Amino acid sequence: MLGLSRVGWRAGAVPILEDVTFEAASGEFIALTGRNGAGKSTLLDLIAGLRVPTSGQIAIDGRPLSGWTSLERARAISHLPQTVHVQSPMTASQLVMMGRYPHADRWFESVDDRQAVDQSMAECGCLDLHDRRVATLSGGERQRVFLAACLAQRPAMLLLDEPAAFLDIDQQLNCFELLKRQARAGVLCIAVSHDLNLALEFCTRIIVLSGRTIARDLPVRDAMDRTDWLTHFSSRLERMVTPDGRARICYR
Amino acid sequence: MSVAVQEHGGRWIAWSAAAFVAAALLLPFVGPSPLDLARVWGREAPDWSILVQLRLSRTLLGLFAGAALALGGCVFQAMLRDALATPYTLGVSTGASLGAVLAIAFGLHIGGGVSAIWIGAIAGAGCVLFFVLGTSIRQQELSPFALLLAGVATNSVCSALILLVYGLSGMSASFAIARWLIGSLDAISYGPLGVFMAVVTALALLIVRRARAWNLIAVGDQWAGTRGADVRRLMRFGYVAGSVLAALTVAVTGPIGFIGLVVPHLIRVRLTADGRVLMPCAFFLGGVLLASCDALGRVILAPAEVPAGAITACIGGPYLIWLVRRQA
Repeated sequence: MLGLSRVGWRAGAVPILEDVTFEAASGEFIALTGRNGAGKSTLLDLIAGLRVPTSGQIAIDGRPLSGWTSLERARAISHLPQTVHVQSPMTASQLVMMGRYPHADRWFESVDDRQAVDQSMAECGCLDLHDRRVATLSGGERQRVFLAACLAQRPAMLLLDEPAAFLDIDQQLNCFELLKRQARAGVLCIAVSHDLNLALEFCTRIIVLSGRTIARDLPVRDAMDRTDWLTHFSSRLERMVTPDGRARICYR
Repeated sequence: MSVAVQEHGGRWIAWSAAAFVAAALLLPFVGPSPLDLARVWGREAPDWSILVQLRLSRTLLGLFAGAALALGGCVFQAMLRDALATPYTLGVSTGASLGAVLAIAFGLHIGGGVSAIWIGAIAGAGCVLFFVLGTSIRQQELSPFALLLAGVATNSVCSALILLVYGLSGMSASFAIARWLIGSLDAISYGPLGVFMAVVTALALLIVRRARAWNLIAVGDQWAGTRGADVRRLMRFGYVAGSVLAALTVAVTGPIGFIGLVVPHLIRVRLTADGRVLMPCAFFLGGVLLASCDALGRVILAPAEVPAGAITACIGGPYLIWLVRRQA
């Protein structure tokens, strides 16, 4: 469903990404990893249509992204930035309702829209926060509300920039569990993550960005058995196997 | 948004609109010399002409000027994601003031039926808008931070130039300048008033029609961009429309402060932050507030008149501090 061919992006004269090529299908849950500054967020922005590639082409369902209007894009793709500052006194359900923007063209949203909001909030376990002000929520609660806003968009593709950053361990597990369920339901999920163990546990595929391009692109099944891809992160990583046979990454 | 807010939202807009109409009908009767209703009914002089020629036009000017300032405030606060942003943040009003002050200093009072002060103000505002937007565009992207900085810098440069002109001009001109800079409503003939009301109404409709998109913008550019808003076009429209509202208003009333800050803030805290309700309510209530301040200024120290700009600042400043303290 998603295809990138030789995609590059430069900031002025500085190349950030070069020659990025990969394809992804519905139902995949891809962990986009790499060191700081490797271009993970930039790549996500390019796929979301927030930036325009300076070379190469991105296509969704065979149609070049450059030909999509912002409304068409928003009906297919939902993107969650790394940080969202909500300053105005708005409630959680008002924020989630924003996900209905590309689907509703009426002044006030319909009953269907409100049902979609409630359903998304229930899926993310935040229906109890419905009328709370976003500014008063804890980090974990807020992230669940943001995820609900993404789901309310009913996207075919979910792009998340470090969705587990700032979350406690239990919330991180819940977040990735939720994304895994979405992928199983047929949504293409791409999440930027620094946590390799979360990626091994929940994702189906790991893409490692290094040297301005894709250095490794592995199904998680292969990543479990190999160690050569770890050098892109640090020289101090090693692979261990838990007593019940799961591969885990540790540091020395 | 919950069902309750939707239903209340419609009601709040209706109440605000009713207050706007009521102000237009009642405030013209407030003034230093009481009007005899029977003579007004019989269209007899001087009561009828005081009501229609002086007070009604002045009330309408106050209503639409206040509405333009409050709505402009909403737009800038959404775009800059800053509750302290006003239609004056980009320096447009200081630019307009400089233009008007130059027109007064050079004694260009009448130019073909339209006041030279207006032309000076609109030219000044246009120059500032052009300059500030021009310096803030890099790689076809408008940077809000660069806009704020350019606005602040332009503000202080224009203020300095205003002081310079003020210092160099003669007694009568400098008195007229000082009077104008306070910001006040004066009787206005129906021709220019009609143009002003028509432009403000048209821009308000264009702005409020995009209320759902302003809601997205208020959260973030990326957030709005991936939820279906055309951020670049929306921002360009917002800066131009908001600045035109501010420039026109400054041209006819002088720089009147606080309406653009207090009214949206009050509605956001008390009613809702949803632009679909916030923006229409701010439009109507901003108008009611300015027109009421002007009516108050007409009678509070009668026969002397207190300029509306002084009253809005005297009421708005302490109120804002109280509101912020209560929240914290």
